[in-house]
Amino acid sequence: MPVQLTNLQQATLQAVVNRLIPVDEYPNAWDAGVGEYLARHFEGDLKHLVEAYANGLDALEQEAKARYGNGFGELTAPQQDAFLQDVEQGAVVTVWPIAPGKFFRLLVEHTMQGYYGAPLNGGNRDAVSWQMTGFESRR
Amino acid sequence: MQQYDAIIVGAGAAGGIVAGVLAEAGWHVLLLERGPSLRFEDVPRDDIRSQRLSLYGHNAGPEIEGNPRVVVEPNGNERVVRPHEGGYHNNAACVGGGTRVYGAQAWRFMPQDFQMASLYGVPEGSSLADWPITYEDLKPYYERAERELGVAGQNDTLWGETAPDAAYPMPPVVPGPQTQALKRGAQQLGWRTFAAPLLINTVPYGGRAACIACKWCVGYACPTDAKNGTHNTLIPLALATGHCQMVTGAMTERIETDARGKVCGVSYFVEENGSARHESARAKVVIVSSGAIESARLLLNSHSAQHPHGLGNESDQVGRHLQGHYYPGASGLTEENVYNGVGPGVTCATNQFNHGNSGIIGGGMLCDDFIKPPIDFWYTSLPPDLPRWGAANKQYMRENYTRLLHVKGPVQEIPSPHGRVTIDPQVRDKWGIPVVRLSGTTHQATVATSEFMRHRAEEWLRASGCYKVWSQPRGIGLSGGQHQAGTCRMGHDPQTSVTDQCGRVHAHDNLFVIDGSLHVTNGGFNPVLTIMALAFRSAEHIAKNFN
Repeated sequence: MPVQLTNLQQATLQAVVNRLIPVDEYPNAWDAGVGEYLARHFEGDLKHLVEAYANGLDALEQEAKARYGNGFGELTAPQQDAFLQDVEQGAVVTVWPIAPGKFFRLLVEHTMQGYYGAPLNGGNRDAVSWQMTGFESRR
Repeated sequence: MQQYDAIIVGAGAAGGIVAGVLAEAGWHVLLLERGPSLRFEDVPRDDIRSQRLSLYGHNAGPEIEGNPRVVVEPNGNERVVRPHEGGYHNNAACVGGGTRVYGAQAWRFMPQDFQMASLYGVPEGSSLADWPITYEDLKPYYERAERELGVAGQNDTLWGETAPDAAYPMPPVVPGPQTQALKRGAQQLGWRTFAAPLLINTVPYGGRAACIACKWCVGYACPTDAKNGTHNTLIPLALATGHCQMVTGAMTERIETDARGKVCGVSYFVEENGSARHESARAKVVIVSSGAIESARLLLNSHSAQHPHGLGNESDQVGRHLQGHYYPGASGLTEENVYNGVGPGVTCATNQFNHGNSGIIGGGMLCDDFIKPPIDFWYTSLPPDLPRWGAANKQYMRENYTRLLHVKGPVQEIPSPHGRVTIDPQVRDKWGIPVVRLSGTTHQATVATSEFMRHRAEEWLRASGCYKVWSQPRGIGLSGGQHQAGTCRMGHDPQTSVTDQCGRVHAHDNLFVIDGSLHVTNGGFNPVLTIMALAFRSAEHIAKNFN
């Protein structure tokens, strides 16, 4: 795990990416290795964004508390999805240190890179998304 | 100081061929390449760091640090960009150049492509012009490139060929389910289609194995060496003669001229154990084959007392008319499975709209696309109304990766003298050499042609059974990229061109530019086979006339 993020930030991150790619017959983002993908890139090409991630995750948690009285992880899945749509649109009620829409786009892109990209980058465990899509023949 | 018959700057599509031809003719050749020689295992199948999707870097160079360029936006804003970032217009920097990792489409330009100004007139503000040579002049060299490197294709693309023995050396790629769908659609529209010609071994050829139809073609190195570039054909041939010396990691600083202004050699840096060694070499002939952007940079950086504005730049033509290709296309969803996982994936093309389009200058080829890794698909193949995340997005990826048809193609660009390469007055690369400054745009008429082709792409997909079709218009901008061309155009008149019809720089008898820089216009096709044909033609001329 990225050493720079606190336990709470990591827990929020995990909960968020699992709504960006939720579980169905195929695993959610975290179980498919998106956490590992991010951890590797936080020490490499995304090093310059670790602080933005920490700030954005804190703001997201604070926004959830302001609106629902609960942390993001304690919301129901439909609440989480509706909340994330608002974050995506920049419709927030608290003060964010990073533009919420911009932070959300980063989260989405990096999550997709970890889920659909080549396993050599740490994500896409057992090439699971390549079988899901049919890029590789389904086992 | 080392003395050679010829020094070639750049071991890419053109430089590799020139090295092969001259070394075979007995010339002592120094071939300088800024990048390394890459083995298959040196080019990772990293789908977010390839020449196709370059989010964080590249797998075939140049190094992302130490090689900046300056981009001037149409609104006047300036940015310093790294090689994998937007606006840089990168091409691979390694032995073989772009051919090391390309998709290898092997199109001949059509006869009309050499006579664009005569056919269409010159739009106001453009620098559209005829080539000083015709298709017939280049045809024997197209044939030579197809034979010596190896092209697989269907003979319909050998324009107007009537000779009974005219044929590609290898049969075309086999059709897939996407081919059947697209052929049906084209038939309904009355369009002719054929297999795209490829510099890929469909059968063993040239001592190399056949394609094993893996999914990692464009942007990657071939596992069976079945993709034919200069790195596995003409360059090994040159080295085998024993009189071509190739130096990798060698960055040419300038072309040297003597006290009278005559070209006499080059100076270059070689990286060794982390430090730079400065070297010089002399030659009878210097040949610049660094790609349209870097070739212009080298000529401009080689200014001297006799040539204060750079070599070959007396008429302020070096670096102008930079062009590449707009790439209009469309995506569509089908009910049927149109994916069989057999690479490279390019199987079905039409040249129905390369010329003869009412009210449009030129046109372009359309073709199905290479197989895309899923992350590339996520970036490029989502309908505009689909959420970018969540259950619906995942469901789309899962259901439609194998049901999407994508056709696209390069549009013949209408060049502008304002789309150009100059030298930035401040920024330097890691060697201390002044870097390229890119500015201007293509000509507005290019946008009209591109829009016309985008609608043809949509039309094709609808006729092919797609129930949902979408595409994105593109606004005006500078074009270049992997198809970069035009910055040292050939011509008869030194006022409006940089070289003669063999690539010899006007006012110099021993300095040549041989690469895409020479292209007066860039066709509505992938340009590499034309770059190769011109290289064979110019190299043959040099070998005959300088001994």
